[in-house]
Amino acid sequence: MEFFTKFPVMERVSLMELKKGIDLSFRLFSRKYGDAIESFFDPLLFFLVWLEKLLLTTPWPIIILVIAILAWFGSKSWKLVVGSSIAFMLIGYFGMWNDCMATVAIITVCTIICISVGIPIGVLMSKSDRVEKAIIPVLDMMQTIPSFVYLVPILMLLGIGKVPGLIAVCIYALPPVVRLTNLGIREVDKETLEACDSYGATPFQKLTTVQIPLSLPTIFAGVNQTIMMALAMVVIASMIGVKGLGVPILRAISNQYLALGLMNGLAIVALAIIFDRITQEYGRRIQKHRGTTTKK
Amino acid sequence: MKIKKIIVSILSILFFSAFAGIANADCGKVVVANQNWASAELMAEVDKVILEKGYGCEVELIPGATMPTFTSMDEKGAPDMNPEQWANAVYEPLNKAVDEGRLVIANKAPITGLGEGWWLTPGSIKKHPELKGMNAVEILKHPEWFPDKEDPSKGAFHGCPAGWGCQLANANLFKAFEMEKKGWKLIDPGSAAGLDGSISKAAESGNTWFGYYWNPTSIVGKYGLVHLDFGVPYAGDENWNGCIVKPEQECVDPKPSAWIVSEVNTIITSKFAKQGGKDIVKYIGNRTYPGSVMNGMLVWMADNQAGGPDAAVEFLSKHQDVWTKWVSSSVAKKVKAGL
Repeated sequence: MEFFTKFPVMERVSLMELKKGIDLSFRLFSRKYGDAIESFFDPLLFFLVWLEKLLLTTPWPIIILVIAILAWFGSKSWKLVVGSSIAFMLIGYFGMWNDCMATVAIITVCTIICISVGIPIGVLMSKSDRVEKAIIPVLDMMQTIPSFVYLVPILMLLGIGKVPGLIAVCIYALPPVVRLTNLGIREVDKETLEACDSYGATPFQKLTTVQIPLSLPTIFAGVNQTIMMALAMVVIASMIGVKGLGVPILRAISNQYLALGLMNGLAIVALAIIFDRITQEYGRRIQKHRGTTTKK
Repeated sequence: MKIKKIIVSILSILFFSAFAGIANADCGKVVVANQNWASAELMAEVDKVILEKGYGCEVELIPGATMPTFTSMDEKGAPDMNPEQWANAVYEPLNKAVDEGRLVIANKAPITGLGEGWWLTPGSIKKHPELKGMNAVEILKHPEWFPDKEDPSKGAFHGCPAGWGCQLANANLFKAFEMEKKGWKLIDPGSAAGLDGSISKAAESGNTWFGYYWNPTSIVGKYGLVHLDFGVPYAGDENWNGCIVKPEQECVDPKPSAWIVSEVNTIITSKFAKQGGKDIVKYIGNRTYPGSVMNGMLVWMADNQAGGPDAAVEFLSKHQDVWTKWVSSSVAKKVKAGL
C-alpha cells in the first residue's frame, strides 16, 4: 500500500549531496572564471553607464525633442508625437525622470543586444531544421523558467549591478526576436526564392537582398515583443541592483505605498505603449511599402 | 449480522477519530508568519512542529517580511504570530498596538547576541591592512579603498534592499555622516539575494566590501565578516526613532549615530494569546535560542541548502538540550515522538 500512497523519493542524504555538489562545482567555476567573465562584459558596462549619463545630463527638452523626432520618423503620425511628448513630460513632472532615463538606457541596450544576437540565431534556425529543433527547447526554457532561478547563478558570477541585471533581462526578452526572425524567413514565398535561384543568386545574396527584406515586418514584430518583454522585466532587474523605475516599485511593494507603486507602474506602461506604437507603426509602414511595390 | 458488525466498527472508528480531532482542537488554527530570511524560517518551522505535535494546534505558515507582516498583524489581526519581529523598524506603532491591546510581545529576546550594523569582508582588511582596528568614521575618509564598479571614482557603500526597515535607516545615516560629500555612493542591492550575492561575490574573490548586515546569519559566520565600531556614540532615541528610521522627507536633520541596540521580539496577536492559552504563551516566552546555536544552525542550513522544514528537524533532533527546557516534559515527549 505504501508504495502507492508515498512517492518513491531519492534518499534525503544523497539528494542533499547532489544539490551540494552542483552548488560547489558552480562556486568553484565562478571563483576561477568569475573575474574573467566580468571583465569580458566591461565594455558593455562602460557603454551602459555612458548612455545613462548621457540621458541624465542632456537637458530634458532635448530628450523630449529627440523622442518626438523618433516618434515622427517611426510612425509619421502627429497623434503619437504629441502623445509621447506629453507622457514624458508627465513622467518628469511627477518626479520620475531620473528613474525613467535609467530604465530607457537599460531597455535600449537590451534591445540592441537582443537584435544583434537574436537575428543571426534566427537566420541560422531558418537555414537548418536541425538547428531549429535544437534551439526551440532552449527558447522555451528561457521564456518559462522563473527568473529568480537564474538570478542566483548570475549573482554568483557577476555580483549585483547593471550588467547582471541586463543579462537577466536579455535572457527573458531574447526569444521573440529569434522565433519571429526564423518564422519570417521561413515564410518567404517559395516562388520568389525560385526566381532568385534562377537568376543565379548566391545563398548570401538571397538572404540579404530577398529573404531578410521580405521578412522585415515579421522581424519587426519580434523586436516589438522583445522591447515589451524587456520592460516587463524591469522590476526583476531592480532586485539585483539595477536602478530605474523598478526600484520605487519594489519599495512600494514592501511598504504598501499605493501611490508610489501606481505612479511608477503607470510610467512603465507609458514607456511600453510609446515604444510599442512607434515600432508597430514602423512595422506597418514597411509592410505598406511592400504592398505598394507589389501592386506596381 | 456481518453487515451490522461492520457498520458498528465503522461507526466506532469514526467516533474515535472525531473524538481525537476534538482533543487536538483546543488550540485551534494558528497562522504563523514565515519571514523570508533563514533564522526566521527556522524559528517559524520549529514553532510549527512544537505547536502542532506538542500542543495540538493546526499551524499554517504564510510568507512574510518585516513591514508587511507587522502591518497585517496590526491592522487585520492576522497572522497570529511573528516569531522574529525586528522591533526597531516598527518601534512606535508596535508600542501603540501593545498599549491598545491588539498585540502582545510574547518574548522580548528570542535570540541572544544579535545586532545590526556595518561590516567589512575579511578581504578588505587583507587588501588594506590599515583598515584593521579602524572604526566607521575613520573608514569613511577612504572611499578609494572600496571603488564602485560602475563609477570607480566613488566608494561603494552597500545599504539595505528597498522596503526593509533598515533601508531608511541606512539612507538617513548616509546623509548624517555626509557620505556623499566624502565621495561615497549608496548602493541599493535590490533584494535579500542581491545583498547576500554582493557579499559572497566579494568574499569569494577576496575583494573589498563595506556595507550593512546583521547577526546572527550564516553569511557572517561563513565569511567571517568583521563588525565595525561606529566611532560615534548612540545619539539618543529622539534622533533614532524620531528621524533615522523615518522616510527621508520626514527626517530633515539626522545626526550621526551608532546603530541602535537591536531589539527582536516574538509578537502575537492578543486574540491568539487568549485562544492559545497560558501554556503556549509560556512556551513562547521561554523560547530563547542562544546566539551560537542559531549561528551554527544557519551555517548548517547554508552548507546543506536546507530550507526551514529540514532545519527544524535537524534542530529538534540535534539540540534537544536547548528546546526541551522551553516546554514541559510531557510536551517534550510528544514532540520527540512526533519527529
